[in-house]
Amino acid sequence: MEQSTAVPISQSKPQTQRSGKIKRYMWGYLFLLPAIAIFTLFLWLPIFKGVMSSFYTIDFVKGDSFVGLANYKTVFQDADVLVSVKNTLYYMGLALVIGFWVPILFAVSISEMRRFQGFARVAAYLPYVVPFVVLYGVWRWLYDPVGPINAVLKSLGIGQISFMVDRAWSMISIVIMETWQSFGSAMLIYLAAVLSVPREWYEAAEIDGAGVWQRIRHITLPAIRGQILLMLMLQLIATSQGFQTQYAMLDGGPNNATLTYALLIVRYAFVRQDYGVASALGVLMFFALSILAIIQFRINNRGGVES
Amino acid sequence: MRKFSMMMALVMSLTLLLAACSGNNGGNNANKPGSDPSAAPSNDVGAPPAEEDITQKKVSISIYYPTPDRVEDRALEDDKIKRFNEVFPNVEVIKSDWQYNPNEIGIKMGANEAPTLFNTYASEGKFLAEKGWAADITELFNNYEFKDQMNPVLQDLFTVDGKVYGIAQRGYPTGVAVNKKMLDEKGIAIPPFDWTWEDMLNTAKAVSDPDAGISGIAPMGKGNEAGWNWTNFLFTAGGDIQSVDGGKVTATFNSDAGVKAMEYYNQLKWEANAIPLDWALGWGDAVSAFAQSRTAMVIAGPDGPVDQGLNQGGMSPDDILVYPIPAYEKGGKHYGVLGGDFLVINPNATKDEQEIAFRYATFDYFSDKGLESLEQNIQARKADNKFYVPAVLQYFKSDSEYGAKVTELFGKHDNVYQYGQETLGLIDGKPESQFNTQDYYGAMTNVIQEVFSKEGVDIKAQLDMTAKLVQEKFYDTIQP
Repeated sequence: MEQSTAVPISQSKPQTQRSGKIKRYMWGYLFLLPAIAIFTLFLWLPIFKGVMSSFYTIDFVKGDSFVGLANYKTVFQDADVLVSVKNTLYYMGLALVIGFWVPILFAVSISEMRRFQGFARVAAYLPYVVPFVVLYGVWRWLYDPVGPINAVLKSLGIGQISFMVDRAWSMISIVIMETWQSFGSAMLIYLAAVLSVPREWYEAAEIDGAGVWQRIRHITLPAIRGQILLMLMLQLIATSQGFQTQYAMLDGGPNNATLTYALLIVRYAFVRQDYGVASALGVLMFFALSILAIIQFRINNRGGVES
Repeated sequence: MRKFSMMMALVMSLTLLLAACSGNNGGNNANKPGSDPSAAPSNDVGAPPAEEDITQKKVSISIYYPTPDRVEDRALEDDKIKRFNEVFPNVEVIKSDWQYNPNEIGIKMGANEAPTLFNTYASEGKFLAEKGWAADITELFNNYEFKDQMNPVLQDLFTVDGKVYGIAQRGYPTGVAVNKKMLDEKGIAIPPFDWTWEDMLNTAKAVSDPDAGISGIAPMGKGNEAGWNWTNFLFTAGGDIQSVDGGKVTATFNSDAGVKAMEYYNQLKWEANAIPLDWALGWGDAVSAFAQSRTAMVIAGPDGPVDQGLNQGGMSPDDILVYPIPAYEKGGKHYGVLGGDFLVINPNATKDEQEIAFRYATFDYFSDKGLESLEQNIQARKADNKFYVPAVLQYFKSDSEYGAKVTELFGKHDNVYQYGQETLGLIDGKPESQFNTQDYYGAMTNVIQEVFSKEGVDIKAQLDMTAKLVQEKFYDTIQP
């Protein structure tokens, strides 16, 4: 009898706890539902479907047909893939060399400014809001063989540079243009980090006789190291997917000098209508980017703790 | 730079979403039993089929409708819809301003969102037919009362293996638009219409002024247009893109003629210094450069650059001369790649929809109403101080009765651009290759860019390498 009375009591307790938990978190779960639905529909399912598509010849009208690893075989036999991988790595490297330090430099410089700091922030951020079409038009004009940059070079006695069609310059020109356009956004992140460094540290350093460069080297840069690492990973991920400018300005030319991996995917999908091979390329890229994403995630977590 | 999600959305989500939209059932309702609402019910088998009045059919079709910037063309289309509905009162005509794009057609067909009647280009006939994205309208065409008056030069481009897949609208053999004003200003002699490669080279060299950003000629150097432009020279040198023998397709563009054509491009760039320094120009860039007098010559379907020059560049008709593609040598052929606009019917449409779409497409063809409509268009342009630039080739035979009427109409209006008779007598259209045209153009673009960006390229080696690539990658996969 004791047992028979004890059992319902012991069973009812967890039930009460569970229902209490459900009640407690119900609204939270409900708020999660739209996000889960959207992520499932527009991200996870497409990724899954993309992986599946890489094993099929896609034909929207006549129906798909399973081809096993044939699409991957095409990828590994296509000489353009290797070219595009090299170009992408070159593009990523150039973006680091030419563009990565620019927002840091501007953030640190602006943080040191005593006057016009607000103006400098807005001025640096403005290019980021320029629409791409306008951006391409402006830079096409700037890079024109008889445009302003070449006019200056000519006046300095330096020869004319074919910024767009000289293979040695085409990718560099793209990176310079993109750096000009996008450094403002990264600069704001760095600036926020720099401004969050306790002022007392700088005051103490000044009392100890530290100059501007020493303050930057021994206080600012170490203090924003987490952000620098995070931005590095984000930039690597972003540039590894770059294709928009290469497509709009040069369509991957001259002679594939700006053909990036992502642009090759676009060509396979939308020029050759070969969605199966495009998916296979996408899947390979997905795995490569996943590694970068994991590193970024770890840095992010570690940086968050440190900061 | 875009995030990965964007590209993934473009490529990966495409298949899921489109498959969902189309149900991945092939989407070909026309082939489904019972999908045709007009199909006779099964218990009627044996009974004599009642004669159906097509004008009383109740169907809905979506049609190609001009983009918002083409106000006059929209007004004409609206007028056509109104008149069409007077004859076909039960037909609902839905306007679709989607413009054919080779990069979007797959998505449109997959999502079953392509209009019942859509526009396309001459180069797409075989591609659309093979993909199953153009309805076989052979029966409709064979029953068309004016089929024998349709211009065979154009109409044949959409006839594949004896089956008809499109309706010709207008077309052109590629030619050369010359900015006569630029030549006059420099005191350069106007070349004869029956010109040669050498004449073109000398003219381009004479007018070119690189320091001022002026080029003699702007051969397209970006995108597939580059390969398309160059192919005109391949043809005039006596070459061809491919040969087809017993179903086996072989690349032939690396022939001696191909070498000559590429050497000519090499001369234009490195000897004459006659092309733009920034030569990575697509169709729009090159034609704009022509309209802005930044280049004296451009290779294209003649109506495009003439229209831009007159209506956007503020040029006068006397400033522009249209030439055929120059012959390789005196007395040679002036071949230009054939191009043009066509209308295609969606194969996913029901038989009734396909028939109504065909009737809509040809509604104004060979009719006095069509002439009236054309005259209104010309007059509307006149009111806007704009020129009407007709296509070099029309859907009808130029020597037909209807052709004579149209010629007479054009002669009545001073804002209609008139092509020189000498050019029309010399210009000679040649169809593009049957197989993988765009793939070939894309591959050739790389060779052209190599030649334009590096001096002293081994042209024969480049062409051989590209021919091998195109052969192995595309032609060898074609089933005989």
